[in-house]
Amino acid sequence: MSWRRVLGPAALVASLVSAAWSWGHLETLRAKSATGAQVLYLPSGKYLRVTSMGFPEVMADLIYIWSIQFYGHYDTADRFKYLNHIYGNVISELDPHYIDPYLIGAMIMSMEAGDPEMALRLLDKGIAANPNEWILAFDAGFLCYDRLKDYPRAARYFEAAMRAPSVPSTVRRLHAEMYNKMGDKRASLEYWSEVQRGAETDYVHDVSAMHVHDLTIEVDLEALRGAVEAWRARHGSLPPDLRSLAAAGLVAREPVDPEGVPYLYDRRTGEVKSQSRFKLQRRQNR
Amino acid sequence: MKTIAIATNTFREAIRDRILYLILVFAILMIGSSRLLSLLTVGSEEKIVKDIGLASISLFGVATAIFVGVGLVFKEIEKRTVYTLVAKPIRRSQFILGKYLGLVLVLAVNVAVMTCFFYALLLAKGWMDFAITRAIVLIFVELMLVTAIAILFSAFSTPILSSLFTVTFYLIGHLSWGLLLLAEKLADGPGPAICRALYRILPNLDALNVKGMVVQGVEVPMTQVFYASLYGVSCTTIVLGLAVLVFRKRDFL
Amino acid sequence: MPEPVLEIEGLRKTYKGHLSLTSREVIRGLDLKLEAGEVFGLLGQNGAGKTTTIKMILALIFPDAGKIRIFGQDHLGVKLRSKLGFLPENPWFYEYLTGREFLKFYGQLFGYSREERNRRAGETLEKVGMSTRADMPLRKYSKGMLQRIGMAQALLNDPELVILDEPMSGLDPIGRREFRDIILDLKARGRTVFFSSHILSDAEAICDRVGILKEGRIGLSGRLSDLLSPAVGSWELTYAGPAFDKLAPAGFQGGLISVRGPESLVRVDTEADLARLLDAVRAHGGSLISVAARRETLEDLYVREVAAR
Repeated sequence: MSWRRVLGPAALVASLVSAAWSWGHLETLRAKSATGAQVLYLPSGKYLRVTSMGFPEVMADLIYIWSIQFYGHYDTADRFKYLNHIYGNVISELDPHYIDPYLIGAMIMSMEAGDPEMALRLLDKGIAANPNEWILAFDAGFLCYDRLKDYPRAARYFEAAMRAPSVPSTVRRLHAEMYNKMGDKRASLEYWSEVQRGAETDYVHDVSAMHVHDLTIEVDLEALRGAVEAWRARHGSLPPDLRSLAAAGLVAREPVDPEGVPYLYDRRTGEVKSQSRFKLQRRQNR
Repeated sequence: MKTIAIATNTFREAIRDRILYLILVFAILMIGSSRLLSLLTVGSEEKIVKDIGLASISLFGVATAIFVGVGLVFKEIEKRTVYTLVAKPIRRSQFILGKYLGLVLVLAVNVAVMTCFFYALLLAKGWMDFAITRAIVLIFVELMLVTAIAILFSAFSTPILSSLFTVTFYLIGHLSWGLLLLAEKLADGPGPAICRALYRILPNLDALNVKGMVVQGVEVPMTQVFYASLYGVSCTTIVLGLAVLVFRKRDFL
Repeated sequence: MPEPVLEIEGLRKTYKGHLSLTSREVIRGLDLKLEAGEVFGLLGQNGAGKTTTIKMILALIFPDAGKIRIFGQDHLGVKLRSKLGFLPENPWFYEYLTGREFLKFYGQLFGYSREERNRRAGETLEKVGMSTRADMPLRKYSKGMLQRIGMAQALLNDPELVILDEPMSGLDPIGRREFRDIILDLKARGRTVFFSSHILSDAEAICDRVGILKEGRIGLSGRLSDLLSPAVGSWELTYAGPAFDKLAPAGFQGGLISVRGPESLVRVDTEADLARLLDAVRAHGGSLISVAARRETLEDLYVREVAAR
């Protein structure tokens, strides 16, 4: 009879001990994966929709919230394995109009996982579903500009962004600047002029005016230099001065810079320079 | 042994209860319909069938544990069959443990039938992967724990409340990882400590959930199966101990 | 002097209502002693606490205070139950078992071998008259059949102390006679029987001792022969003839009990009035059918005791 009395409490104590011990081991195993890593194994959002029973957006919210925590942990092994799946396949399918996940997802993809192309694909998806959300195209454009240094591509994205109603001027300005980066000064000048014309604040006006100023000079210089070469090709020697270029119809107008100051021409070397300084810092070298 | 006699009797009683078959039929329908569901999609058929199959076995197992389990104990007390039983030379602990064992046996049969059907489907489609068995083993361990909880609650509470409490416990058990997340977000102080303490104490049912991994083909190491099973069985024993204590002190009004 | 089979001292039990806001003290200091071989009837109104007392004896509920000893041991012991038999009120058993399977299952709980289980099941089924209907599922049983199976399971282990809560409820007259015989048979074999009832005629027929549970205590208790006065209390006279109010003598102590056709049944309280009524009947041309002396019955005693205060 006495061993019966001991059996109960002994079993209880043993269970408590083994529960704690096995729990400890399970926690160690769990730390190697991540908290709530079950979410990683979710099926595509298309199917998940069915289970959301009419609340796919809520589900998207919850999964998004989880993903922030998950990707905020830097010590998880192999954490980018399902990155594209979570953002591209699950959240965006559950709620295609939820903008934040596209942005954050793209950011994680490009900055932390180092895969800007993955980020761009995600953003493309977002843009397709939300053409009026300029920020998505803007983000994509900025990614191309800043990380990939792919200016033409960036310019295309900015153009897409600009199609949305009420786009902030930053987009237009970057767009204009892309052409400058590409080396297409004329296009850049055109776009910068547009920005200047449509400037709503003094700041934007002043900044764009500066760009227009500098670009005009650069465009003029380009044209002048081209004309000089054309002259040299035609006549075998350098033109005497810039006015003769205008007279010969090789430049469209009087070679005067935006400040009304004539351009300098060195007839010995054939170099054309502007007297007025560039307004923007970085151009001083030219 | 007397406990075994009660277990056998409970098994016999439950097996003849129609609710069991209802649940089983639903489970099989569910598993079968997953095949149909998957036809509506392009690709991922295999994953869907496996996901739904495992989910069915798990959910309908829990439904059986709760409804048959709670019902059995309640019926026994309500209909006073327990009066004559307790007057026999058996301990109350033998009674409740016998009831539990009988129920676990019913669940084992239930899970076995569903698993056979599920495996047959998988084999027919060539999607069979025996590693799935690991997930099913852990599902069964989870069922044992949920049944113990159902028995614990029904030892002192009405069937509706018992069912509610058990379902709540099931949900909390699966969301306990949220406590850890919460602990990180709360400001320093008692908050995080409470969350972490709760996380430790509340049985973590999610530790027994490897369905996702198995369906994705990720290997579930045997050590994990071992520790998870041990954890589940230990928690079950603790809960049963509590149930015995509660049941022993109870007045059968 | 051998130990009492059942001994209760100072038993108390309070029922607490929901949320412990209300409480009702049901048993307030109950004492009882049961000797071996006697048949004891616990009587009382509905709700007096008879079933509560029985449940406490069987450790189905736990007393707030007091001691209960069975066979000289603390009543919570498990081993002593192998010498105990219990039939609750309105019993219900497992729906899907047959009567025989059910008895064999209970046999397992006593630790009997298979042959022993079969034998005992057969014997008790025979004793309660259920041998031919033992193989139907229990859920198909009528109330009377359930009662019989209940008695069978109570006697399965040939117990020394049999506790029955309202054993006659749900039985037809033949069933009641059969149960009475079973109890008397138990007594003849030296077993002790404790039962509660509010059917006094049954108690009167089979009990050695009775106790009346009133206000949470056993008020009146003792042997029937001691409690009931042997003196003739009244007479019952049956005559055929004119209606009673026509021939009742002046100042008659007694009254008409019932009329059936030409016959009237009259209660007469004194011997003198008996003679006067006889004369009155003859004087009015009626004829005497019967005269019976009536001693105090248990019912008289019970009504008197319970109605008091």
